[in-house]
Amino acid sequence: MIAPPRLSTILLAAITVLVAVLLYSPLFVPIVSSFFPVARGEVDWSSPTIETYVALTGNHEILSALRTTLVVGFCTVVLSVVGGTLLALYYHGRRAGRSALQFIIFLPFLMPPIISGLALLIFFREIGLERSLLTVIIGHTAFVLAIVYRTVLTRLQSMSRTLVEASYDLGATKWQTFWRIILPNLSSAMVGGAILAFALSFDETMITILVTGTQSTLPVRLWAMMRLGFSPDINALVALILMFTVLLCALAARFLVPRQIATQRA
Amino acid sequence: MRNAGLARPAAIRWSPLVTVLAFALPVMFVLAPLAIFLVYSFFSVDQGQIVYAPTLANYVRFFTDPVFLPVFWRTIVLCLSVAAISILLAYPAAYFLTTLRGRWRYALLMLLMVPLLMSYVIKIYAIRSILGLNGFLNKALVGLGILSEPSTLFVFNMNAILLTLTLLLIPFAILPIFLALERIPQVLLRASDDLGASSLQTFLRITLPLSLPGVASAASFVFVLAIGDFLTPQMVGGISGFTFGRILYSQFGTAYNWPFGAALSVALAVVVIVAILLGERFGRNRGASL
Amino acid sequence: MNQTSDLLTLHSVSKSYGTVPVLHGVDLSIRDGEFLTVLGPSGSGKTTVLRLIGGLEPLTAGEIRLDGRDISGMPINRRPFNTVFQDYALFPHLTVAGNVGYGLSVRHVPRKEIARRVAQALELVQLGRFAERFPAQLSGGQRQRVALARALICQPRLVLLDEPLAALDLELRRQMQEFLKSIQREVKTTFLFVTHDQEEAIGMADRICVMQAGHIRQLGSPHELYYKPNCEFVARFFGENNLVAGTLGETQGEFRAIETALGRLVCSVAGQPHLKAAATGARGFAAFRPEALRLAGDGDAGNRLSGAVADVAFAGSSTVATITAGGDAAQRLRLRLPSRVEGSALTAGETVALSFAPHEGHLVLA
Repeated sequence: MIAPPRLSTILLAAITVLVAVLLYSPLFVPIVSSFFPVARGEVDWSSPTIETYVALTGNHEILSALRTTLVVGFCTVVLSVVGGTLLALYYHGRRAGRSALQFIIFLPFLMPPIISGLALLIFFREIGLERSLLTVIIGHTAFVLAIVYRTVLTRLQSMSRTLVEASYDLGATKWQTFWRIILPNLSSAMVGGAILAFALSFDETMITILVTGTQSTLPVRLWAMMRLGFSPDINALVALILMFTVLLCALAARFLVPRQIATQRA
Repeated sequence: MRNAGLARPAAIRWSPLVTVLAFALPVMFVLAPLAIFLVYSFFSVDQGQIVYAPTLANYVRFFTDPVFLPVFWRTIVLCLSVAAISILLAYPAAYFLTTLRGRWRYALLMLLMVPLLMSYVIKIYAIRSILGLNGFLNKALVGLGILSEPSTLFVFNMNAILLTLTLLLIPFAILPIFLALERIPQVLLRASDDLGASSLQTFLRITLPLSLPGVASAASFVFVLAIGDFLTPQMVGGISGFTFGRILYSQFGTAYNWPFGAALSVALAVVVIVAILLGERFGRNRGASL
Repeated sequence: MNQTSDLLTLHSVSKSYGTVPVLHGVDLSIRDGEFLTVLGPSGSGKTTVLRLIGGLEPLTAGEIRLDGRDISGMPINRRPFNTVFQDYALFPHLTVAGNVGYGLSVRHVPRKEIARRVAQALELVQLGRFAERFPAQLSGGQRQRVALARALICQPRLVLLDEPLAALDLELRRQMQEFLKSIQREVKTTFLFVTHDQEEAIGMADRICVMQAGHIRQLGSPHELYYKPNCEFVARFFGENNLVAGTLGETQGEFRAIETALGRLVCSVAGQPHLKAAATGARGFAAFRPEALRLAGDGDAGNRLSGAVADVAFAGSSTVATITAGGDAAQRLRLRLPSRVEGSALTAGETVALSFAPHEGHLVLA
């Protein structure tokens, strides 16, 4: 942009700083508190400690919820990657009804979670499926499928058509072409999509609350604890989750940012 | 027509069986639930049991009962306000981002997106305590002399919901606006400058109009996310902060009237679909053709 | 008569994409071991011909025969042809060795055998040291050679090259042209080379097939096409040509006259029976190359022309002059003379007399 006069830049910068402060304020308190003891609303800056982190390792409630979240996340990733990839291949193959199919895939992601969650709730009841970890996994998969589908499809569409033609030209069968050429070139998109799907599933709260059975994922457990108030080790958990999610997203970016494909000109 | 076998070599040829397979799961876990959902809205409840006889009673109740329609309307207004305030704050920030060069631009953008990665539940809790009687906001206002004593103005009411949702959703407004601003070719701005316009004029007559599709996208995006959120109002709304989402949620909890809840959800879905369509329509990037 | 056999023949091949026709009943025969170039502007259908032969597209009508056998319905992966694509289509996730050996490995050739033949193929294209590199690490010219090695290693009956040099800069392109030509001679495989660059075609081909708007206009050796074009399009397509419109006069042995606005010109019709037999009064052109024109001396017995020099341009080894002749008809002629250090003998505005020998002029029917 052309440099505007100094005053307006300063004003813009000030507002941006304000926005940043606003956005980071909810993060600030828990994370700071995880390193310093807080007594009666006052931060004791004199004695930094990792006591909260240590205490966290003994919090069995939280740890079991964490375990559940990981299990759900893993299953969701597997289902959505397999499903998303196959569906992307279907769409790319220009088969019947593909626009309608794509629309259905995107629905749970576009609709407010409350509607998706309630629809699934009623559905499970009507087909007699008890609310459990399985229903949570189904709910998460329906939600994140669109993401994996989109990342894989984008990669598929950017793959040069001549790569597949070259494979056939050299004598490969359809299956050989799929396994040796198409799938390897999709793999990084699949991994990137998987990581994003995991990150989304990890923090998914609203749908989960609606379709959860007796086992709680971490967000659901935290939600339940919220009425009673949090113990200090939750602050440590918050800091760790934040760091973990940031790393996940950075990792996903590494797989999804397009690299130089060799069919392009030097 | 002579067929060279692999007539469409870029595709893998599947049999019709696979069409069925492809549609199976999405239809089963997306379309079927939504269809049943819709059908449910035409049922009713009698003494705790669901009566599977079609009736319009739920919709009639929604429109005629003095409670639901006003709350529905209030919720829509609330979410529009959230969208408006988010945009008011997001636009300058997004614009500022575009004044930065290269790596700084994306680094700052990432920085502003990081708060999205924090646990959702904890964020709400933290904001609630900031807004609370003993919270940081009150302390600051009293300290600066704006208030003489801590206020309950933003505690457990609609204002609290408004502020919390805004705080949660600002990053979702920054992104589309930033992308729209970025897409405006530098050439146009230089041309405007060259023709004698001041910076303010260039902004008002060139930049702003061309960035409006991004603003429309942002508005639609934030609105849909806000109106679908039933946890935030639950946690920070208290008794006076009653949104449509909470009424909806209670139909599946304490009020235990699933068909009616389904009908309310259909109403919500209609509003959401309209918002998404409007966002699509006005979010289309018309400008920047050279 | 020593006749090389036809490897591949196309019979009345047509191709339409939906309702849009791209090829109109094309007949072509490709000789075993030749370097055939298909030349034409974009939209002429030349790439379509290549893709139909390779099996990448289905025919709309007609037949393709290999050794006399109809292969129109044969799928891509069974045809004994290999293609060098315009964007090289190297598999980015495989090394150079992996790329080159791909065609063998999908046929389940034993690994040791693959390694041996890959090494051989890479030696042939002078990329022996690059076996373990990835395509992304190679330059454009190197990638091109890998694509070539990959196509040759399976010992195909025909190699199809789809404008492979289009992306290379001039110097590299010249080197690759020589390189391709020498490889073709060495392995004695039939090459079908598609391009829009007529200099490239003339330099490399045994025969050239000129296409325009989905039709084959002429098929022959570069020399034939250059000196005996059979239509106006081909005449104009190759280099510069002077075309003077007129009506055919009487035939005199191996020569025929044509009445033009610049006078009566006599041109050669040797070896072109259809021109000898054409009706008197038929519309046509006299075609003669800029280098065939000379400044006329008094004793010159050839076709005489005169006009005013409009422009003289120094073009390195030759100097090109534009002459306007023929009064009202305002015919522009191009004259090409070897350059001299002393400067050109011509100045703009002066009137000159030119001539060209009858055997250097040809006729083209309109």
